[in-house]
Amino acid sequence: MRYLTIALSKGRLTDLSIELFEGVGIDCSELKSNSRKLILSDETNKIKFFLAKPSDVPTYVEYGAADIGIVGKDTLMEEGRNLYEVLNLGFAACRMCIAGPVELQGKLDQLNNKRVATKYPRIAREYFEHKRRESIEVIKLNGSVELAPLVGLSEVIVDLVESGRTLKENGLVVLDTIADISARMVVNRVSMKMESERINRIIDGIRKQLEKGREKQ
Amino acid sequence: MGKWKIYTPEGVQDILFEDCFMKRNLEAKIRGLFRSYGYYEIETPTVEFYDAFAAESDLIPQETMFKFFDQQGRILVLRPDITIPVARVAATKYKDREYPLKSFYIGNTFKYNELGGGKQKEFTQAGVEVMCVSAPEADAEVIATAINAVKATGIESFQIDIGQVEFFKGLMEETGLSAQDIEQMRVLIDSKDYLGIEELVKSHNIADNLKELILSLPRLFGSIDVIEKVKKMTSNERSLAALENLKQILEILEDYGLSKYVSIDLGMVQSLNYYTGIIFRGFTYGIGFPILSGGRYDKLVEKFGKNCPATGFSLGINMIMMALDRQKIAVEKQGVDSLICYKREGRKTAFEVCQELREQGLVVEMDITMGSLEDVKKYAASKGIGGIIYIVDSENIEVHNLENGEMTATSIGELLNKR
Repeated sequence: MRYLTIALSKGRLTDLSIELFEGVGIDCSELKSNSRKLILSDETNKIKFFLAKPSDVPTYVEYGAADIGIVGKDTLMEEGRNLYEVLNLGFAACRMCIAGPVELQGKLDQLNNKRVATKYPRIAREYFEHKRRESIEVIKLNGSVELAPLVGLSEVIVDLVESGRTLKENGLVVLDTIADISARMVVNRVSMKMESERINRIIDGIRKQLEKGREKQ
Repeated sequence: MGKWKIYTPEGVQDILFEDCFMKRNLEAKIRGLFRSYGYYEIETPTVEFYDAFAAESDLIPQETMFKFFDQQGRILVLRPDITIPVARVAATKYKDREYPLKSFYIGNTFKYNELGGGKQKEFTQAGVEVMCVSAPEADAEVIATAINAVKATGIESFQIDIGQVEFFKGLMEETGLSAQDIEQMRVLIDSKDYLGIEELVKSHNIADNLKELILSLPRLFGSIDVIEKVKKMTSNERSLAALENLKQILEILEDYGLSKYVSIDLGMVQSLNYYTGIIFRGFTYGIGFPILSGGRYDKLVEKFGKNCPATGFSLGINMIMMALDRQKIAVEKQGVDSLICYKREGRKTAFEVCQELREQGLVVEMDITMGSLEDVKKYAASKGIGGIIYIVDSENIEVHNLENGEMTATSIGELLNKR
């Protein structure tokens, strides 16, 4: 049997992903052992795991270096890779939003020159150019995006909003929601065909687990 | 000055000895196979007018093409594909030919691809096109040719997925969705985004049974039974006709004895402006991208002025090479059978022997360094040559077996008759 390779996003998605895979009978003990090894495996099920930077997971999966990946919808939208997006895992839920000073509420289209600060230039462009049919100037930042409108670097921002607390404390409001975000399971297009039986078994197992989880709530 | 002179641009490669030998061998095998089906080879220019490809915006986005200008300021491109040039030829130079027009090509194409996983900006495609026949027999033959071409390369485990875009188009027509919503639906189904499809379907007023069928589209793949199952789920004539067409093609492939390579995927919905009937892709282990793709494109040739249905496929030679490498499939290696060196007195004889052995089908290299026997042996060993024929004069010949280090003395008559 060939190995199936699973790419997990390093960070807040890691533990939740491990829980799901353990739920379908995959041995993740090596993964939890804080080992320094980059590639870990479950020899009985012939599965290999590796942890990668979230924004790299779609790349690994598209190129077939991993068959399956777990990654946030925000990363998928930003990377725009050619993959099968087979499951919404529900966790790590938040929204991708446009936010700005309260004066702009409802007046976004009156603003002539829009400077948009964001960690997600592609999502920002897609939204403004395709949905709103407006041209924008994107300012790519790598963190604390909320700062940009406060110091006059941009008029608005595009960013993930979880509770909205950071926005509120800085006098910003959500002007529009671009998409609901949560963790997704993605599969390489060729793997889905060549290993359909094993992959579908994992997908179905995780789906059932998620349904059970939802019933409990 | 010239700081780039020792590099090649990203996405293009030197293909060195081993790979080049392997690639030419693959091309020769594929060429032989295509010829044996009665397809005639065609070569179209590497450079074409941008206009020829611009009509197919769905298939080849303009930002992926290498563009430049001619002296009159017209836009030129390095061909991103060969199907479109073949369609141009079919509609112009071969417009009065008896049909079917069966052609094949093997050539390099160029696209600003992102690199990796076997993708390059310059890549070789081999493909066939059948023009002016709309019968399912034509599609089945094209698929059979594709399967046998992959087999000819040495790859044994692979799979061809077949879909039918008319099936999806029929269902979408029935929903009455706007073109924009249909495109969104296509993208969602193509990425098997179950949740996205559900949300989109729910937000529109669509009949329940149609809703159910659309929701199940990404799961409609597998064996031929899928067709029978889906037939019961719809009464849409356009979609039913698509299923019937697909079924006929599969039945023909069954008689070809190729069923085991084929499976169905009704959720395969790429390039809808281009494909008008069946659509297929080939997959194998070890690479993340399809190794071949094809389908029916009845509206393409018409864009060049002749109304003519068409079907075809193309195979990525670079993808095949990568798959062979990843699957560790042994391929023929190139080598030299013997190296001939000589003393001045034996030169004429050496050329005669060399000529004769080459005519017998051996690969024989002539020593042109005129170095010592030791130097020649060293060179031969580095190149993996098994034996040296040392011609002292017209009478005395030594055969050095480099594998066991033995030397045997022989004469010209003996040497040539032994073979």
